[in-house]
Amino acid sequence: FLVSGGLVQSCGHIIPESPVLALGSNFTALCILNESCLDFGNIYASQIIWKIKNRVIPKEQYREINRTVSSVTFNDTSSLATPLTCNILADGQIEQNIYGITVTVGLPPEKPKNLSCIVYQMSKLTYHMTCTWDPGRHTFLDTHFRLKNRWPQETFPDCIPKDVNNSCTITDVQFFVNLEVWVEAANALGKAESDPLVFDPIEIVKPLSPHNLSVNSGILPTVLKLSWENRISAAVMKLKFNIRYRIVGDTNWIQVPPEDTASPRTSFSVQGLRPYMEYVFSIRCMKEDGVGYWSDWSEEKTGVTTEDKPSKGPSIWRIIDACHSSASWTVRLMWKALEPYEANGLILQYEVTVRPKSPLSGPPEKYNVNATNLTLKLPNGTYEVTVTARNRAGASPPSFLLIPAINSKASVKNLKTLPKDGKLWVGWTAPNNYVLKYVIEWCLVSNNSDCIIEWQNEPGNIQGTYLKGDIKPFKCYLITVYPLYADGQGNGQSVKAYLQQDRPSKGPTVQTKKVGKAEAVLTWNHLTVDEQNGFIRSYTIFYKTIDGNETAVTVDPSKTEYTLSPLTSDTLYTVRMMAYTDEGGRSGPDFTFTTQKFGKGEIEAIVVPVCLAFLLIVLLGVLFCFNKRDLIKKHIWPIVPDPSKSNIAQWSPQVPSKHNFSSKDQMYPEGSFTDVSVVEIEADDKKSFSEQDLKPFDLLKKEKSTSEGHSSGIGGSSCMSSPRQSVSDSDEGETAQNTSSTVQYSTVVLNGYRDQTPVQVFSRSESTQPLLDSEERSEDHAGGGDSTTQKQHYFKQNGGQDETNAGRPFLERTKQITSSNEGDLVGFAQLQISGQSSQLLCLGLEKNEEPALSDVLQTSIDGQTLRPETVEENPPSVDDMPKSYLPQTVRQGGYMPQ
Amino acid sequence: MAAADSPSAGLRRRDLCSRGIRLAGKMRSDVMDLLDTYVEWQGLDASASVAAVEGVPVAAVERWDEQTGTQRLLENLAAYRAFRVLLAQMLEEQQEQLGEADTALGRALAAVLLQVSAFTYHLEELLQLESRGTPSEEVAVPAPPSQLGLFERKLRGLGVLRELAQWAVRSARDLRQLAKPSPGISSAPSPDESP
Repeated sequence: FLVSGGLVQSCGHIIPESPVLALGSNFTALCILNESCLDFGNIYASQIIWKIKNRVIPKEQYREINRTVSSVTFNDTSSLATPLTCNILADGQIEQNIYGITVTVGLPPEKPKNLSCIVYQMSKLTYHMTCTWDPGRHTFLDTHFRLKNRWPQETFPDCIPKDVNNSCTITDVQFFVNLEVWVEAANALGKAESDPLVFDPIEIVKPLSPHNLSVNSGILPTVLKLSWENRISAAVMKLKFNIRYRIVGDTNWIQVPPEDTASPRTSFSVQGLRPYMEYVFSIRCMKEDGVGYWSDWSEEKTGVTTEDKPSKGPSIWRIIDACHSSASWTVRLMWKALEPYEANGLILQYEVTVRPKSPLSGPPEKYNVNATNLTLKLPNGTYEVTVTARNRAGASPPSFLLIPAINSKASVKNLKTLPKDGKLWVGWTAPNNYVLKYVIEWCLVSNNSDCIIEWQNEPGNIQGTYLKGDIKPFKCYLITVYPLYADGQGNGQSVKAYLQQDRPSKGPTVQTKKVGKAEAVLTWNHLTVDEQNGFIRSYTIFYKTIDGNETAVTVDPSKTEYTLSPLTSDTLYTVRMMAYTDEGGRSGPDFTFTTQKFGKGEIEAIVVPVCLAFLLIVLLGVLFCFNKRDLIKKHIWPIVPDPSKSNIAQWSPQVPSKHNFSSKDQMYPEGSFTDVSVVEIEADDKKSFSEQDLKPFDLLKKEKSTSEGHSSGIGGSSCMSSPRQSVSDSDEGETAQNTSSTVQYSTVVLNGYRDQTPVQVFSRSESTQPLLDSEERSEDHAGGGDSTTQKQHYFKQNGGQDETNAGRPFLERTKQITSSNEGDLVGFAQLQISGQSSQLLCLGLEKNEEPALSDVLQTSIDGQTLRPETVEENPPSVDDMPKSYLPQTVRQGGYMPQ
Repeated sequence: MAAADSPSAGLRRRDLCSRGIRLAGKMRSDVMDLLDTYVEWQGLDASASVAAVEGVPVAAVERWDEQTGTQRLLENLAAYRAFRVLLAQMLEEQQEQLGEADTALGRALAAVLLQVSAFTYHLEELLQLESRGTPSEEVAVPAPPSQLGLFERKLRGLGVLRELAQWAVRSARDLRQLAKPSPGISSAPSPDESP
């Protein structure tokens, strides 16, 4: 740069200066250096560097025209940007800017297209014409649009759009002269014009709508007269009109036939309206010949037609309550208020007539009611009810309802419902008979409220209708359809329906009714109708263990109980239940339970046998102990023999008084016997004794015969006092001889009690040799009288006990005897008397050894005599017995020798 | 007349006549409204009588029904060219008087001026269809005497508008007469169609 006169002078410049270029075109710029700078700074064109912004343009695009001019060429201006600078690489490789220009790239304007114009009437005398067009592509440049218009011989000022580029409004519009209109677009790269439009502006007018509309009711209840003012002069254009109207509250417009309003006018009478109905009217206009545009609709005005008589009677229905009395009904008559288009006016009252029909008789009853229901108490029968509605213009035709005694007519079939268009549609198949009309009853089924009946009438020729009421979604409705005939009504058919279903609001609460080892009985209650929100299609039971997968079971919705099986014993289960409608399901709360460890009867199956086994063992033990009681007793309570009760001692005739064993003192008056050895004498059939135990009644019987044969009084302990022996007393030697030949010898051992030293011990001998010594001693003893000090005695075993138990039943005593015998087998001496009928009580103890023989034993209770059957085998001996037998003045335990 | 014999020329003439009639009707309507506005703005009495204004063509004519179509067109053209000048003067005076251009009176005057221009165009087109050519634009409308006072100028304007209204009625009848299918527009109209 040079400083000249205080101003900085550039060393060069670029031409063209700030060009506007068409996008996509080529462009060449020249950088011209000042001559003065050449000399001053040794700057030449070869040193020029072109830049776009800070980007160096490739040298290929340069051309050195001479030493002061360098050019740069761009084949496509789209690569250009601002600024384009000319720089010089001076000495020291310092780059200096010489000059820069701003390059503007854009597009020439396109030809505007789709030009169209509308003349808007702004006021009575003012018209604005607005023309719109398509400005074409964006030019990236400042492009000006002008709407040009002219008459053939007069050109008007251009219309210049404000803020937009596609429309403009001309405010001075003159009609009836053709106007030529076109659009001119221009920018730095060019100018373009649209195709011209030539038209008379009167042909494109959108007039203002008529105003000051008024509606007046006429004489007729079906006519309203409209009046209005037009805001366009008839001199400008003649108008035609559109009139539309609707009932207040309705959204559908009705239009007066256009041909009726196709001529200029300022009023019109609309006919065919409904009486006592409020209507809304609106009007619009356009050029009569249809060229141009319709005006907007005018403001709306309302009018009401005058009243007329109600066109029909109100729909009527009834609810009959026959619960309170069998002879009469409470009839609630209900009718619906007429719709406005039916009432044709303000209903002042309803006139109800109830006319009894055969077989009832009587004049009709008339009621004037302001409400829409009437409750009557009527005797059972058939009535014809008529209802008429009355307004100021007159009364309606009557509505009839037959209140039948019974509903015996045919009913509708195939009753079904279907939600449609947000309403609930009810359909049915008509009965074969002609139906006058149908009555559809419905009510909302809820736990929280009663079933409030709503109803509607439908003509008899239809087979389906929408419920006319506030049908709520998710609510259950009970719908009943009654066909009404000329002579009665049919039975109602009912169906439940939902307008819209949803998932249940809650799930069933499940719980267990019974829990077993491998199953659980679940129970639940049905959801209430308010909770269902739809038809319950199924239940699903989900159950799982803590760590197991969930299992689902689908259950019929009619059930309230289900048995889960199989389950694992002694396991915690979580169960929940879902109720499903068509829209989905909802789960109830979780419920947990634990299955039992043992199944039903398992414990019983274990415990009962165990108990039984225990009881059996105990019983066996008791029996065993009982059977072995003598042995046990021997070990625990050994029997202490009482010498004083020795049979041998008692045998002495001289000491009969000593045989009073009523007491121990008596038994052992002298207390001399502390150690006693027992001699047990057994009859020849020792085993028969047990049989006596088992057959006491036999014994009783036998005892009788025995007493006959042998006399009673022979004590159990009278081992030696058998009749035979008694006989042998007189024949002593022979008897002894006979006896000794069969009696086993025994050694009576005097065992000491506990630590006491036994006096003498008798050991049992298996020898069958006659017990001579003993016999001798016995005889000695008998002869010797009360030689109680003698060491060797025959004692009757348990003799003392026998005495003390004399009054006890024989069986018991027998057992005692048996036990003692069994328990003392070692020291037992059997005395078998061959051929004798009588036997010592102590005989026959070995029943366990030969039970077969027991039945041949007979026992005499009184005489405590055991007589084997073998006695009968020796009748001669028996016959001899009474001869030698003296009835003893017996004291038990002792014999009085004869 | 050769051109008038062609069907397109006939249609064109009928179209011009039709729109000219409606334009005349609208012009009358607008002039009547303008009269009200003018009287109001200028503070004049609507019932004030105005003497014949010099240079203002008079609509009334004797033996109207005897005029030929061309004659009617030429008289109309002369009148409306005069009205165009007069209205332009009135508009200029009104702007000078009121000091602003965009007033209701000014807009109404401009609108009527445009209509007069449009009607003039219609008449010229019709005359061309008659192969008569249009007479020169020179109109012998005297410039308003500068010595006229303001009130006189207002009254002169009132007279111009009233006469224009009369001409609008006459022009509509003239064009309606021309629009009738007839052997030639030069034929005399029937007596019952006289204004």
